[in-house]
Amino acid sequence: MNKGGVGLGSGGGGAGSGPTAAAAAAAAQKQKNLFQRVDTDIGHIVDNFGLLVNAARVNEPPVRNSQEAFMMEMRAARMVQAADSLLKLVSELKQTAIFSGFASLNDHVDQRIAEFDQEAEKTDRMLASIAEEAAASLKDLESHYYSSAERKSQPP
Amino acid sequence: MEGNIEISLDKLPVKRLDAIEENGLERFPRDVDYDEKRLSLIRRIDFAWAVEKDDEDVDESDEKQGRKKKKTSKDASQPWPWQSLVENLQLAHQELSVIIDLVNTVEANDDVTVAYMTRPKPLPNEALSDLAVSAATKLQCFRHLGKYFKQSAKALEQQIAREARFYGALIRLQQNWKVKRQRLAASASGNEGFCIDLYDNLPNEPAAGLRTSLPMVRVEHDSAGMLAVKLAPNSRRSIHFGFLGTRSGDITGNSNKVNSFSLAERSSRETKKEPGSDDECIKQTHSVLREVHRGIFDEQVFDLVNREAFNTSTGVNVTGIREDYLQLNIGQEASVFAAIVPSGQDDQAADSSGSQNLETEDIPLDTLGGSKLLEGKDVTLLKKEGFPNSLCYKIYLQQIFHEHVFSRAKDRPALGNKAQSYGQGGKNSSGLLGHFCLSLNHRIFSDKVLTVLESLVERVPYLHLKSHPTWHSRRSSWTLSMKVPQSILHSSRQTQTSDAHRISDVIRSQFRTMVVLNDDCISVEGESAPNVVGLFKGNSEDTCSMNKYECDLADLPVILLQQVASQVIGWLHKEALMVGIKANQDYLCLSFELEQGEILGLVAHVDPEDTQGCISWWLVVEDGFTEDRKLNADMLDGGSDYRKFLGYLSLDVLYSTLMDLVNL
Repeated sequence: MNKGGVGLGSGGGGAGSGPTAAAAAAAAQKQKNLFQRVDTDIGHIVDNFGLLVNAARVNEPPVRNSQEAFMMEMRAARMVQAADSLLKLVSELKQTAIFSGFASLNDHVDQRIAEFDQEAEKTDRMLASIAEEAAASLKDLESHYYSSAERKSQPP
Repeated sequence: MEGNIEISLDKLPVKRLDAIEENGLERFPRDVDYDEKRLSLIRRIDFAWAVEKDDEDVDESDEKQGRKKKKTSKDASQPWPWQSLVENLQLAHQELSVIIDLVNTVEANDDVTVAYMTRPKPLPNEALSDLAVSAATKLQCFRHLGKYFKQSAKALEQQIAREARFYGALIRLQQNWKVKRQRLAASASGNEGFCIDLYDNLPNEPAAGLRTSLPMVRVEHDSAGMLAVKLAPNSRRSIHFGFLGTRSGDITGNSNKVNSFSLAERSSRETKKEPGSDDECIKQTHSVLREVHRGIFDEQVFDLVNREAFNTSTGVNVTGIREDYLQLNIGQEASVFAAIVPSGQDDQAADSSGSQNLETEDIPLDTLGGSKLLEGKDVTLLKKEGFPNSLCYKIYLQQIFHEHVFSRAKDRPALGNKAQSYGQGGKNSSGLLGHFCLSLNHRIFSDKVLTVLESLVERVPYLHLKSHPTWHSRRSSWTLSMKVPQSILHSSRQTQTSDAHRISDVIRSQFRTMVVLNDDCISVEGESAPNVVGLFKGNSEDTCSMNKYECDLADLPVILLQQVASQVIGWLHKEALMVGIKANQDYLCLSFELEQGEILGLVAHVDPEDTQGCISWWLVVEDGFTEDRKLNADMLDGGSDYRKFLGYLSLDVLYSTLMDLVNL
């Protein structure tokens, strides 16, 4: 779907000049940042879940119930926070797709333009045919009227 | 503690001489160890009071239990399940209190301090109890966390679904509309700041051209998380066009009422009923955006009309102006108005109010070039037939502006007669309004011309009217044709073969007179046109040439009737020549010279105002020596011997009359 936004890995390494190279470098950096954020969030989720599971062990006394309860709540909150961060990252990716997918968008716009041009031509042809039919019908009607008995019977 | 208080004095911590031997050797008491010292101190404490007290308490409790047993003899068989726990706790309490007292006493004496106390080794059941409590507490904590995770998962799923719907709809809208993002708006309002730009940049529009203040439509979330567009007030506007003082405004008002009703109905449906699916919601959004887009386009058209109206080269006079309202005098005794009205408003009321206000208000427009004040009386005079459908011309106005200003008209192929040549304006935008007004004028004038032609044809039975659609907005064409009867034609062909050398021109079976209207200029072209020059030459055949000339509407009926009459005379003349009779054609008269020297003439009389027939025929007999009598008023009597009214004759009757005259 998005060819021009994030997925510029193949173009990032190419040697370019002017804004193209800078844009490719910026895209690569952005991609790197996104991956890093993803890794960070996934890592938070996994680590906190592991710590949460470890806290399930019932240790020998001394008992630290309150301490462990608070710790488990904190781990759970961190997991949810990391999931929310991932969700925001997905939203950012969608926004990037909306505002960076020029190739597909241009293709679609060109396609729509071609479709509308065809529709316009079709409509024009239809109008032309309607005009021709109307002219022919008018001609027939006039000839029929003026050659009709009603017209001939009109007193001069 | 009851009883007497006993006081014991400790020895001073001084080493006292225990004994001294004869040899002078001193003996001191042995040093006491720490443990021994402690034990001795403990032994000094008298615990008898505590034990006695405990015994007393136990006796009292036994007595109470005994009383209870006596009272509740029935419950004696069932001991309280927590009794043992209570006893154990009491014992523990006693021991603890003893220990606490010991510790306090020892510390108060400041001789012994408690260094540490070893925790007693827990019993197995105590250890298991601790483990069970710990496990239960953790289990409860994990259950709480499980609920928390479920709630969070549910909320995140809802958020994902909302965003999926929103962005899916936004991506679909982006296929057809320009989606932009305003980051400042995003930070201020809390939304993502998306908006849709509906404005089309015009190539020649000045920088401050757009009247619409808000071509940007904000995209927001509705209650269900779906995409919703927020429209500015009065963003749905449309151009209204009509003729001033006619009922054409009602037609467009009705049509706009229908449109506004549909819009209102749709908007009410939007608010009252949730769309059944995302597709329906997106379609509704498309429709709304398209309406706003058309409103912006109409405003741009109105702006261009405004600019061109004040350009004197267009030939249009501005007779009234208000906010969102422009009135023009286009000639042909017609005034039109163009206005921008919100969709859904009562357009008829707006039209009537606008026209009435202009009637009452005195808007000085003398400073404008070529402008006129529209008098109130003239408005009533404009309520007459002949004005075309204003809706058609509103569409035409939009079409020509769209084709030559907004779209890339150069790349589109010209489809036949759709290639409009806009006169002096060409395809330049400055001449579009002029072309439009000229087209409107032409249509009004062509309707008048057609009315005249139809009235003529109605009263001349052998005339046929044929329309020739030119599909040009400023050009119309008709043909008045007159067909010679078949029988006459057949006989004409038979004689033609024998006397071909005498007849230079082929006998026509049909005479045509073409009426062409370019803008408001009428041109008539046809055979047997009365040619003044040919008349002076004395050769009647010279009057039968094709000629083309222009005239105005008032003279058109007379000219056409003269044309037709001359064609009939010419045809009769040729018929007479064909049968070998010498005849003379003199404008609208066909004359024969009789043996007695008299001149018999068949004269055509044209009268456009005659309701019975426009072309009447007279038989005139002239004495060759009494030409002066033609000017005598007494000779105008229809029943005189020299001039007889024949009536409104058909072609067959005319031919028969001709033959009768020939036989004379």
